Amino acid sequence: MHEALVSALDPLGIDFEMVFVNDGSRDRTLEIAVGIAQSDPRVRVVNFRRNYGQTPAMAAGIEAARGDIIVTMDGDLQNDPRDIPLFLEKMDEGYDIVVGWRHNRQDKMVSRKIPSRIANRLIAKATGVNIRDNGCSLKAYRAQLIKRIPLYSEMHRFIPAVANIAGPRIAEIKVRHHARKFGQSKYGLSRVYKVLLDLMVIKTVASFTSRPLLWFSMLALPLAGIATVALVWSLLDFLTNGGQLSLPVAGSGVIFMTSAFIFICAGALGELAYKLGDLREAEFSALTQRLGLRSRPRSTPAAEPEKNMGNPR
Amino acid sequence: MSDHFEHADISAIIPIGGRSGDLTTLFREYRRALESLGGRCEFILVLDGPRPRAEEQIETLLQQGEKLTVIELTRSFGESTALTAGFQRASAPVIVTLPSYDQVDATEITKLVRALDKSDMAVAHRWPRAGGAWESARRRVFHRTIGRVTGQTFRDLGCGVRAFKRRVLEEIALYGDQHRFLPVLAARQGFRVVEVDLRQSSRDRFEGTYKPRDYMRRALDIFSIFFLVRFTKRPLRFFGMVGATTFGLGVAVLALLVVERLFLDQPLASRPALLLASLLVVLGLQVFALGLLGELIIFTHARELKDYQVDRIYEFPQKQAASVEPQLVATTDARDA
Repeated sequence: MHEALVSALDPLGIDFEMVFVNDGSRDRTLEIAVGIAQSDPRVRVVNFRRNYGQTPAMAAGIEAARGDIIVTMDGDLQNDPRDIPLFLEKMDEGYDIVVGWRHNRQDKMVSRKIPSRIANRLIAKATGVNIRDNGCSLKAYRAQLIKRIPLYSEMHRFIPAVANIAGPRIAEIKVRHHARKFGQSKYGLSRVYKVLLDLMVIKTVASFTSRPLLWFSMLALPLAGIATVALVWSLLDFLTNGGQLSLPVAGSGVIFMTSAFIFICAGALGELAYKLGDLREAEFSALTQRLGLRSRPRSTPAAEPEKNMGNPR
Repeated sequence: MSDHFEHADISAIIPIGGRSGDLTTLFREYRRALESLGGRCEFILVLDGPRPRAEEQIETLLQQGEKLTVIELTRSFGESTALTAGFQRASAPVIVTLPSYDQVDATEITKLVRALDKSDMAVAHRWPRAGGAWESARRRVFHRTIGRVTGQTFRDLGCGVRAFKRRVLEEIALYGDQHRFLPVLAARQGFRVVEVDLRQSSRDRFEGTYKPRDYMRRALDIFSIFFLVRFTKRPLRFFGMVGATTFGLGVAVLALLVVERLFLDQPLASRPALLLASLLVVLGLQVFALGLLGELIIFTHARELKDYQVDRIYEFPQKQAASVEPQLVATTDARDA
C-alpha cells in the first residue's frame, strides 16, 4: 500500500505526507503501519482504541492532516494510487472537491452495484449534487474546506453533499477500481433504511439550518390550512344545523391548529439552536469564494493522501 | 505514608451520599489495603451535601492525624457530581473509587488494582453474593437488559468499587445518574475493562425492600443509557422511527374513513375515529419534527462534539508537532507501542 502510494506520488516532485488511520483493528495492521512510519518520516499513523466506523476514521485523518489538499482513500487498495495525479490536476484547475467514479466496478452486481446505483440516483436528486458514485472513497478536497465541514455518524457517503452547504466546485473523474483483495465487505442491503434517513437529514438540515423558523413555519402552514377548513366547516354546520356541533370535525380542527402552533414553537427552538451553534453560512461561502476570475494558479500544491485502514467487520 | 499528596501513586475517592457505614473503621481498612500495595495513597472524601454523622466521623479521623482531603458540597448533587469533584482533586495516575459503606472485603481491593496491569479499568463484581433468589433474579434481569442494549455485559454495576487509569476519566464526562454506567461508557470508548470477582463484605446488607419507585428508576436508567449509546448522535433514527409509525397509522385510519365516506356512504363528520386519526397524524409529525430539531442541534455543534477518541498519533521522528495539534500529541501513552 505504502509502496504503491510512494511510487505514484514521488515522480510528481511535490511535498506530501500520508496519514494512516487504524480504526481499532486487532490484527497486525497497527504494527505494520507504525513500522512504515518509523522508516518514512512522511507517514503518520492515527490509532483508535476501538472500531468507530468509516466516518470518524476519516474525520480523524482529516483533522490530523496538514497539507493543502487532502486525498482520501480506502486502505484495501480497491482504489489505485496512480489515479491521484489526475485528482491533483483537477484541483489545479480550480475545483474544490474532486470525486472518483468507479466506472467499471469490480463488485457483485445484485448486492452492491444495483443498490448503489439507486442510492446514488436518490442522493443526487435529493441533494442536488450530481455525482454518479458517492461511495467511492477516492476523493480530493481542499483542506481548508473539508476541515470545516461537520462530519459525524455515517456521513462519509455524503461528504460532497454535506460540503455542498459551502457551494464548492465539484468535479468528477473516472478512476480505476480493483477487486477486493484484503478484508471483508460489510455492506449489504440492510443499510438502506439508514441511508434513507441520513439522506433526509442532510437534505433538510443542510438546506435549512440557517432559517429553521421559516422552515418549520412552512411545515405548519398546511396543517393550519386543514385546521381552518375543519373549523370553518364545523362553524357553518353549527349555524345551519341549529346547535348541533360535529365534535370529531371540530376536534380535529383544534388538534391540527395546536400542531401548527407547536411547529412554529419548534422553529423558534431551532433558531435558538442555530444561534448557539457554530455553523455560519458566511464562513462557508468564505471558504470557496474567489476574488476575480480564475486568478489563482496554484504553484506547489502539497498533496496528502490519507487512508482509512479500518478493519471492516 | 501519604504525607505528600503531589506524589501519590493511587488516589482513592470516597463519595459520601445518603448511605454510609462506620467511616472510621472503613477508612482504616481501605487504607491498610491500598498501602499494602506499596505506593503512596491519597484519600479524597467527598461529602455530597450536609451529612452530620459522617462529618463527625471524619472529624475524629482528622483528629487522630489521618491525612485526607475532604470536599464538602453545599447540597446533595448526586454521586456523579461528587465523583467528578473528587476526580478534579486527584493527582495520582491510578484512581480508585470506594463506596462509603461496606460492599466488598477491603483486603480484596488490592486484586482490583493489580488487574490494572492488563487493563485500563477494573470493576468489582461482588461474588459470592448474599441475597435471596428474588434479589439475584432482579439483578440478573437488570444487567442482561443493559447488556442487550449497550453490547457490554457487566454483572455488578451497582458496586462502587472501581479502579482505573487516569486517562479513562479524561475522556469521559459524567453527569446525572451515569456514574453507575462508567464501565459501560469506558468500554464504549475503547478502553479495556475487566471484571474482578471480589468477596462481598459480611457487613454489606441492605435493610428494607425495594419500592416500586426504585424499580421505576432502574427502568429509567436503562432507558437513558439506551438513548445515550444509541441515539445521541442520530436523534432522527429514533424519533423518525416512532414518528413515521404513528404517522402511518394515522394516515391509514384516515384513508379508511375517507373510503367509507366516498363509497359506502358512511358519514365522516360524526365519527370519533376521525379524532383518533388526526391525533395520530399530528403526533407523528410532531415526533418527527422533534427528531429533526435534534439533528439540527447536533449538526450545528458537530465540530465541538467529536464522536471518536484518538488513542495516539504515531509520528517519526518524534519532533515537537505541538504547534499544530497540541491536544492530540499530548495524549500519548506508552501503549501497544
